[in-house]
Amino acid sequence: MQKKIKSERFIWLDIMLTLLTLEIMQFFYYGIRAAVLSCVCAAVSLVTEIICVRLMKRQFTADDLTCISDALIISLMLPAVIDFKIAAIACVFAVTAAKNVFGGRKNMIFSPAAAAYIFILTSWRGQLIMYTEPHVHTGILEKAGTLVSSASHAFNTSGKMNFTDFEILMGNVTGSLSMLLLVVSAVILFFRNDISKGAFIGTISGTVLLACLVPMCTDIYDSIKYTLSTNMILFAAIYIISDKRTAPKHNYYAFFYGFFIAVLSYILVLTTTKENMIVIVSLLFTPVALGFRNLEKHIEILKSEEKKEAAAVE
Amino acid sequence: MSKKNSVFDGLLGDNTVLSSLMVISPVIMCGDTLRNAIAVIYAFSAITFLSVLAGSFVPKKLPYAVRIIIYTLISSLVYIPVKFAARQFFPEVIDRIGIYFMLLAVNSLIMVQTEAKFYRMKRGRMIFSLIFYILGFDAVMLITSFLRELIAHGTIYDRVADADMLISGFGMPFGGFIFLGLFCGLYRKIRSVLRRENSGGDSDASDN
Amino acid sequence: MLLITEFIVLLTSNLILTQALGTSTLFIAAGSKKNLIGTAFTITLFTTVGSAAAYFISNVLTNNAKDFTLLFYALAVGILYVLFLTVLYFVSRKTFRNARKYIHLSAFNCAVIGTLFTVTQKAQENPQFNNIGSFIIAGAEAGFGFILASFILTAAYRRLSSSDVPAAFRGFPAMLIYLGIISMAVYSLT
Repeated sequence: MQKKIKSERFIWLDIMLTLLTLEIMQFFYYGIRAAVLSCVCAAVSLVTEIICVRLMKRQFTADDLTCISDALIISLMLPAVIDFKIAAIACVFAVTAAKNVFGGRKNMIFSPAAAAYIFILTSWRGQLIMYTEPHVHTGILEKAGTLVSSASHAFNTSGKMNFTDFEILMGNVTGSLSMLLLVVSAVILFFRNDISKGAFIGTISGTVLLACLVPMCTDIYDSIKYTLSTNMILFAAIYIISDKRTAPKHNYYAFFYGFFIAVLSYILVLTTTKENMIVIVSLLFTPVALGFRNLEKHIEILKSEEKKEAAAVE
Repeated sequence: MSKKNSVFDGLLGDNTVLSSLMVISPVIMCGDTLRNAIAVIYAFSAITFLSVLAGSFVPKKLPYAVRIIIYTLISSLVYIPVKFAARQFFPEVIDRIGIYFMLLAVNSLIMVQTEAKFYRMKRGRMIFSLIFYILGFDAVMLITSFLRELIAHGTIYDRVADADMLISGFGMPFGGFIFLGLFCGLYRKIRSVLRRENSGGDSDASDN
Repeated sequence: MLLITEFIVLLTSNLILTQALGTSTLFIAAGSKKNLIGTAFTITLFTTVGSAAAYFISNVLTNNAKDFTLLFYALAVGILYVLFLTVLYFVSRKTFRNARKYIHLSAFNCAVIGTLFTVTQKAQENPQFNNIGSFIIAGAEAGFGFILASFILTAAYRRLSSSDVPAAFRGFPAMLIYLGIISMAVYSLT
């Protein structure tokens, strides 16, 4: 038990470290406003979590700090210029309605970050999909100047990317994070067993397979490259779909869970040209993840019964 | 004491919407503005009261299946004059409510609770109990629509209120689901606290 | 590809997730997983056959008699209900005794009557849709939507009723919020 608690905290620390590096990169591209946005999200989530835990008459422990990693994931999915109040309301929604109503971290059903993102998408779509260009720094209380659509939007509608590979790697792209940092984060979290390996491989292989079979641009190599670097595919694959709290436990089931999310979101992007479909689909696949988890539990019970029977026969 | 409890139960203790989640589709779909809510309250109250009352005269000797069909036919007939009157009082709202107006005639209070609860009581007591069940629904509908209209549209009965931040999602069906779920949880919490106080402060371990 | 597109259509036109039709029935039947699935399949039967009946009723009724539509739909569902019970009685008495309560629940509810009205409304808006085949397909689709919603609820049923969920939210309130969040995701697809 002690080992399990320790491992949970180490997972959280690893995830926090990777998220903080991404936050630093955001600060570099979008200035102080991106940092303040993250702080607002983290503070609101923490306060809401403390209130919820107290209302449930439980003691607030270090494990409950996972709400901060969820808050950072939310802030990284939002444009730096979004109204702070919107981000705060989304964090309250994530912590209460998508998490603690169901019992909090002991009984996670939805990814709080995905739920918060979709909550904003349904109420303030306009603010969510418009970004400032990288290196345009907006002050904390300033209003954003020129807003532009994301690179994902341009890619989905035209099948073209007006950014060099170096810019994509460094995250010098509107509405995208540094691919280099995301790949490094994925490698660290993957090999330190902090994310569901099956779900991660499933998501990536599903996306790559579809990018080859039904390419979004003329060149297959470009199709794979741009598909993975747009629409939050890699970010969602690491921090939302492969979240060990919500993904199926066994890698075998987790693979199919991730694979089908990737396939469905690719088709949706292809047919509707809407951006970041993977976040919506990952939330829609919650019942599938729960179904797999039920199946795993059922199989475990059957196995233990078989073992007992075998021991009784011996 | 028990008689008093059973008559008033429908308002708080055993609220139609919050306790057993009956008749929730109109609350979710039409409970986004006060104007809609008032039309639904009128229709629900009139149809349910008259249908349950008329249905209580159906002989109990008839088979269950036949009785249920008769109840449905009665409420479908009651619906006709109620809709006719609604056209006079709420001409604009009727179209907005759409099929939910008709669906009030097959609501769970008529289809399920009649046999399970109302027709097991004496008629006089049944009428009082029914009135409080209807009032229970009306109260939930009013509170829900008031809050949802304020949060989602920033208005109160179509008049602009000084709302700083609007969350339009709460005006959508999914917002109705989430709002009603949260409201339902709050109601249960209040009910358990009241019950605990009434029973002399006995600890309720499960209510954490 | 076509299958996935159909699945998305089924999801985005789902009567429970988008119009909250039949949610009360879903929650009443949610008392047991087995009953939930059973009720969902019975409702599909009623929506499919009921839609065929709705086709004839809506085409026979004149505009002056439109207010009687509900009465005739209720009568049609009542006849179907009796027929279904009779068939089941002669097929298996044991199943009849066990399933009687849920057949009643499946017949007279907002999901079935709501489907009949939705299908009729669709035909009024689009005359091409005004044929018996389209009515039956739309009725079956609505029923499958209900089955899908019941699977969605069944998958989370154990978690939503577990002791980890705060007592005030355990069961129905958690189910409502769970369906609300799924419904929110479906809405954002459209």
